[in-house]
Amino acid sequence: MSNTLRPYLNAVRQTLTAAMCLENFSSQVAERHNKPEVEVGTSKEVLLNPVVISRNDKERVLIETSVNSLRVSIAIKQADEIERILAHKFTRFLTQRAESFVILRRKPIEGYDISFLITNAHTEQMYKHKLVDFIIQFMEEVDKEISEMKLSLNARARIVSESYLSQFN
Amino acid sequence: MSDAPIVNEFNQGPISCHAFNGDRTELAICFNTNVVSIFRKSGASWTQTSTLAEHDKPVTSVDWAPRSNRIVTCSQDRNAYVWTLDGATHQWKPTLVLLRINRAATFVRWSPEEDKFAVASGSRCISVCYFEEDNDWWVGKHIKKPIRSTVLSLDWHPNNVLLAAGCADMKARVFSAFIKGIDKKPAPSPWGEKLPFNTVCGEFSNGSGGWIHSVAFSPSGESLAFTGHDSTITVVSPGTGDVQSIRAPFLPYLSVIWLNESQIVAAGHDCAPHLFELKGQQWAFSASLDAAVKKADVGFTARDTFRRMDSRAQSATSTDTEVHTQHQNTINSIRPFSGTPGHVEQFSTSAIDGKLIIWNAHSISRGLGNLHL
Amino acid sequence: MAFRKIDIDALEEDAFGEEEIDFQEIGELRPVSDVESEVNTRAQEVRSLLQRGNFSEALTAALQNPPYGAPYHAAKARNTQTVMDAAYQVKVTDMTQVAKSLSPEEQDVLMKYLYAGMAAPEHYSSGHLLYWHEKLTEVAGQGCIVRVITDRRTV
Repeated sequence: MSNTLRPYLNAVRQTLTAAMCLENFSSQVAERHNKPEVEVGTSKEVLLNPVVISRNDKERVLIETSVNSLRVSIAIKQADEIERILAHKFTRFLTQRAESFVILRRKPIEGYDISFLITNAHTEQMYKHKLVDFIIQFMEEVDKEISEMKLSLNARARIVSESYLSQFN
Repeated sequence: MSDAPIVNEFNQGPISCHAFNGDRTELAICFNTNVVSIFRKSGASWTQTSTLAEHDKPVTSVDWAPRSNRIVTCSQDRNAYVWTLDGATHQWKPTLVLLRINRAATFVRWSPEEDKFAVASGSRCISVCYFEEDNDWWVGKHIKKPIRSTVLSLDWHPNNVLLAAGCADMKARVFSAFIKGIDKKPAPSPWGEKLPFNTVCGEFSNGSGGWIHSVAFSPSGESLAFTGHDSTITVVSPGTGDVQSIRAPFLPYLSVIWLNESQIVAAGHDCAPHLFELKGQQWAFSASLDAAVKKADVGFTARDTFRRMDSRAQSATSTDTEVHTQHQNTINSIRPFSGTPGHVEQFSTSAIDGKLIIWNAHSISRGLGNLHL
Repeated sequence: MAFRKIDIDALEEDAFGEEEIDFQEIGELRPVSDVESEVNTRAQEVRSLLQRGNFSEALTAALQNPPYGAPYHAAKARNTQTVMDAAYQVKVTDMTQVAKSLSPEEQDVLMKYLYAGMAAPEHYSSGHLLYWHEKLTEVAGQGCIVRVITDRRTV
């Protein structure tokens, strides 16, 4: 299964680079306003086709882009109940601190666990290739973090139950 | 005499637009803010001489008329101003322009005779402005039909009447911007005869949709080149009926100019200018004008690996991508710098990384033998 | 503003609506039955080419004349199945060569189908499609991906 990880991340990297072609675009609907068009969605001609890259039916990335903004939504692999709880807590921890993250969206899109919103202001302040690097790194790290957390959770649970049940020996 | 590109770093933020004056000693540049800075060349660098501050939203476009020495700026606050240099005080004085648009202005260009200028806007129209002596202001006439979305770029035909517009409704159009009283009747051209104001002389699109980011007439005016967000460049020649769309394997181009009748330079999200040439009857991609220079210190010896780990805390294989071109971020504007319109020798590019680079068109053709894709 | 019931922006007369954009890009729509019969004949042709072991030609045949347009749901699903059948038969080592033999238009259409296949991971195994994506991007460049995202003619 892990032999699809490299082509999966490669595909996400190429698609993100292709989708991150953003420029400054004032709102056509409200004068003197400049809003991320992918969030507003009223001008249909400036929205582009959303694409999905999937590794299997549990792990997917949805990329929706427009003329001045891009939304990346990631579905993290959650094999069992414990991983579901851990993923939920982890993403909550991050989304509650979305301001310091800059590109993180406070609420994930339906069907996904975490979403990023990147606008032309972000690509002007930061390098595009570094933003893509960051998201790929994030995807790699999140899986590692959740496995680590699960291991330490199981280890702690085993120690606790051993010391409790040893009383009855 | 170096063929290497001349890099000017301003370190004041991303450059949204730039324009040189007639003899290239002065530069008007906007760093993504409400003000336009004027720089004067001193030796090899540029020093700031004045600031044009009248807009209250980011300035989207600036153009400098070479002969009459007037600057026009337009911004997201729905206004445009024409600036004239006061000889006595050496200050730039703004003159009001009545655009009558109710959305942001996106692009502005002086006409070749410098008696009119056209402003593209998000209110789905183009405002062609001329000077009215009686009231001492610039008045605009609107080109509205059949534009359905924000107009992203403009280019004037050498005959001062025809205007090409690239729009977010995925069409490139050629209009007649003939103003009675200002213009004389133009000679018949492959684009049409008898052209009252707002006539559509042609409507074109790329093969696969995509907003038209940039349009450019060829030096003779016989052909029109435009680039779209679907990474294609299309060249149309109504005289021969020839329409060629080149699908590029690169990211979309935001700006395009003609070097001469058979060479086009386009630049955009790939951070490097690309050359397209006419070979026989076919247009095709030739080479990137930025021979990406790989950094020489990337060594894979044990010593280098340890040095990298020590100084930058990077593990054995560094997976960070690096952009090896001169510009580190998207190029959003190319303008001819030296030479005549039919034979451009140098051109300048400005990008979101805050650099302005002046390239030599010749050095490319010499090295073209090696620069294959 | 939850009490506002009228979407005023949708009622604006000059708005560039979805149907108009699709009409501009795709053009007149043919009757559904015509498109469906065309898709079915193509499926048969591809199947016979695959049985003869002619994988490269089968893929090229499957990528001709995709059914673009909003009303053709069944035809689109059927055509995606046909293209996937042909794509899965190509071995990973042959992918680069097959990709190079396609015309630029066919490469763009193949990329569209790769994304369409990945959007339904419960029907199509994504592993093989990811290998295809990698090889096709090497041959056709990132411009191919950009065209999939911008082209309103979706599969």
